[in-house]
Amino acid sequence: MNSLLQNLFEFKRPDSIGVKLYLRLFELFSVCYTLIYAWDWGFYILRISDVVLPLGLANYIDVEIFFGNSLPLISAGLISGLAVVAFFSRRYKWLYILIFLLLHLQYVTRFSLGEIPHSSNLIGFSILGLGLAFCFINNRWKALSFAYGFLVFFVGLSYTSASISKLVASGISWVDGNHLWLWIAEKSTDVLSAEGSYTLTWVQELALQSRLIATIILIIGLVTEICAFLFWWKRLRPYITLLLIGMHIGIYYSMNIWFMSYLIELSIIGFPWYKLFNYLDEKYNLQNRNNLLKYL
Amino acid sequence: MKKFTKYKFILFAILALNIVLVATHEGEFWPFSIFPMFSQAGNPWSRGVLERVENNNDSTIWNTKTLSDIRRRAVSLDSIGVDAIDYANFVAKTEDWNQKRIAGLRDLLNINEYPDARWMATRVSGYLTEEDSVVVEAVPLLLFTRDTTYKNPKIFQDK
Repeated sequence: MNSLLQNLFEFKRPDSIGVKLYLRLFELFSVCYTLIYAWDWGFYILRISDVVLPLGLANYIDVEIFFGNSLPLISAGLISGLAVVAFFSRRYKWLYILIFLLLHLQYVTRFSLGEIPHSSNLIGFSILGLGLAFCFINNRWKALSFAYGFLVFFVGLSYTSASISKLVASGISWVDGNHLWLWIAEKSTDVLSAEGSYTLTWVQELALQSRLIATIILIIGLVTEICAFLFWWKRLRPYITLLLIGMHIGIYYSMNIWFMSYLIELSIIGFPWYKLFNYLDEKYNLQNRNNLLKYL
Repeated sequence: MKKFTKYKFILFAILALNIVLVATHEGEFWPFSIFPMFSQAGNPWSRGVLERVENNNDSTIWNTKTLSDIRRRAVSLDSIGVDAIDYANFVAKTEDWNQKRIAGLRDLLNINEYPDARWMATRVSGYLTEEDSVVVEAVPLLLFTRDTTYKNPKIFQDK
């Protein structure tokens, strides 16, 4: 257990410029995507007038109060203001927990029409992790390390949970290639609906030609998801990241589903960029030359 | 490893909260989820396509069609700023097409901004046959005009 916690939360040379720069980069990315989602969802809520499927807190709060007025934009503005304050201040970083609650409300209001997307879940975990960290941990860098480890934990858990869901719901026959054929037809319909036309990708054509090839594609996807909990271990993290990124590219070509924020976030937390930053610091003496620490 | 005590407590408290929330909310309580997407392999699905109706007098307008039949009449939802998945869920999951629900779909599609358009909300369903081939059917549900919504008489016979 302690070995796992070490792998999740501990950095070698935690006071180095590389680790600090890396953690601030993770925080900056989380804040940027929070703003993107807050405004994107805020503007979309303006055209919603009915709740088809209540999610999360919408089961307990009537989110229809956000319909037909400018409350969604006020909420997005509030989230933005709080996020800027939280990112740049040292005293008010606990505001992240408030931002998380507001973003949750924005999500359940935006997705009250029946769609349950998972593309923003990692950002949700990031902001929740930052909020918890700064509520309970005083040292800023230790709090950021905790938030990073918290996200790493839930990334591994999420993908592995997805594979367990598949095996529980469909058993090992989930990987049968004709299931991929059915999903290709479904996603082609979605693309037709979104774009007014569609053409099959080369991966889809390949899968539709042979049930065996379609089955192999599904096996690769399932095995990758099953192995995702290995993301918790530092040494394996870059390799699992590559597998997960490869899987997402495969999902894009076979199912037309693109998870941009996942790919960027995986690329940030999955590779030890802090080693590169430390190397650059040692080679070019960035810290003393630019007084970088002052700005972090 | 005393230094991790607090970390461990927060992590497991949130993990427990995660389990409780997804267990009591059908697997979803953002950002917590069991991530069930595509777990139901081989199950029939329903999506939605917005069709452009070119000839209102066509007697086959309410007939069930194939995806190829409606392919060139599909309206790009991106081009009118509507999320295709939202639209698909609205069309596929609504069972009772009451006035509020129809008004909600008209609002989502911004029908008032396109007074000359004649659009049809079509439910597209796919399933696997016993021979393991895929069949896709397009069933027209609603026809929108400037100020009226017509329901498919073959489906909504009692209305």
